Amino acid sequence: MEISVSPWRSAARTDIGKVRAGNEDAFLDLPDQGLWVVADGMGGHQNGALASRLIVENLAELPAEGGLEERVGRVRQCLHHLNRRLGQELTVTAERPDPVIGSTVVALLTDNERAACIWAGDSRCYLWRRGRLYQLSRDHSLVQQLIDENQLSPEEAARHPAAHALTRAVGASEHLVLDILEFDTYPGDTLLLCSDGLYQSLSPDALGAALNLPSTGMALQRLFDLALDGPARDNLSAVVIRR
Amino acid sequence: MSDPLLASAEASDLTYFAFAASAVDKPVARAEPETPRTAPGELPEVLGGRYRIERLLGVGGMGAVYRARDLLREQFGDPEPYVALKTLSEDFAEYPDANALLYSEFALTARLSHRHVVRLFGFEVDTACQRAFITLELLKGPTLDQLLSERPGGLPWQALSEIVIPLLEALAYSHSLGVLHGDLKPSNVMLADDGLRLFDYGLGQPLDGVLPGLPRLCRSRFAAWTPRYAALELLEGAPLTAAADVYALACVIYELSSGSHPFRRLSAKQAKAMELDRELQRPANLPAHCWPALRTALAFDEARRDIDAAGLLDAFRRPAPGLLQRLLRRTNG
Repeated sequence: MEISVSPWRSAARTDIGKVRAGNEDAFLDLPDQGLWVVADGMGGHQNGALASRLIVENLAELPAEGGLEERVGRVRQCLHHLNRRLGQELTVTAERPDPVIGSTVVALLTDNERAACIWAGDSRCYLWRRGRLYQLSRDHSLVQQLIDENQLSPEEAARHPAAHALTRAVGASEHLVLDILEFDTYPGDTLLLCSDGLYQSLSPDALGAALNLPSTGMALQRLFDLALDGPARDNLSAVVIRR
Repeated sequence: MSDPLLASAEASDLTYFAFAASAVDKPVARAEPETPRTAPGELPEVLGGRYRIERLLGVGGMGAVYRARDLLREQFGDPEPYVALKTLSEDFAEYPDANALLYSEFALTARLSHRHVVRLFGFEVDTACQRAFITLELLKGPTLDQLLSERPGGLPWQALSEIVIPLLEALAYSHSLGVLHGDLKPSNVMLADDGLRLFDYGLGQPLDGVLPGLPRLCRSRFAAWTPRYAALELLEGAPLTAAADVYALACVIYELSSGSHPFRRLSAKQAKAMELDRELQRPANLPAHCWPALRTALAFDEARRDIDAAGLLDAFRRPAPGLLQRLLRRTNG
């Protein structure tokens, strides 16, 4: 979808992949409001899909007005509330006293030249600027923790049996800690929000080449063509945003 | 899963459910013989040929509530053709008696008519996907869990009493009609534009002798609760009583006044083992004259929880004693 009202154009898509029975990802694509989100739900049965849907639909209802700081505050407030809702307010049964229901989230907010990225979990935000790819978000996952704390190489860390376990997610613990990165943007900057199902099978070079294409729609198409050409074991979602 | 959720005193208790099940089989087979029946988990875009699902409003563990557009009302030009629509989540929709469980919620809540209890519209079954659902008034406003996450320090007395009194009125009214809620917690109370609403009687029960023909949840086969608000006796397998509702609501009131759960967000079982009731202090925002009542309502032991919703309401409605009365009380005591 190309929108000319705001300086930001974007395109978004989700796909169930080739193996999973349902899609637990959800996305939000609101270029007029300068708000984009990818959420990757987790939990048995429908729980994951409900969690990610609850996140994007609640974020979609937030008021669009106000400066970046105010809007970031609202997004944080909303995510903290949903963390409480999914973690502490659920009715449980004796058969399943500890249901898993949660979701990663990565959100991008823009306001003229400024932007803010907010995230929890391993869904990512990338920036493609002047021919270079930057990963702006840092995964909240065991594999990232092993790399940071035990100085393991990414290859060594990935061999850990629980490498993909998340260390943070909405609904996962009593207190949600969100990471926030604010930065200046420049014309031509291209951002990508995506779930792990998309980035796992793509090299940084492939990501960069796709994001370098002339339109957000073409970039998105290339990303999905490449990812769906592989095993696509997980659901995959992406939002491509360009100034 | 073959265990029925419901214990019925008589076979006729389940008549309605049996009728609903047989009534929905035929049209599916005739209308779309080549299409396999949709699994209960897949919610169609339009339910019952009438309600277009638009947005997920809430997830409760057992069910989900959506905003739906009522296409029939829209066709007649209703400018606000929206309803809230509740269905059981996939896990529960698999139980053979799930529709009867949802019907029991409908039957219980539908007989309540109070400005602080949610209004239900109807109970229907989508014949194609074999899913029962309830339509109810669509409310706009924050729930108490949202309020609590925005006000971590609790509410001052004025704001607190404006929530607590209507909430106690709603519960005292329900109990007076023999309807127990069964799952009181902050996310089941909404501060709607036109006043507070208590909702989600999904684990509700009629008191003995009320609605005798209605299928009842059998808690020995199916027990459900929200850990931080469930009374100790419920966690130990006892049947739901008005006293359990009182404990849950007392936890909510305490949390609203102090910003924190009375027992460090632990379940009553854990909190009792740690004897946390001994360190319980009056929240600073709570007037002293309300504390003895709230303290009693928070007792782990059901026998010592010697106050009902009406008694709590009395305590919260009572004006704070004046300085003279307090001095006299001190002198006399």
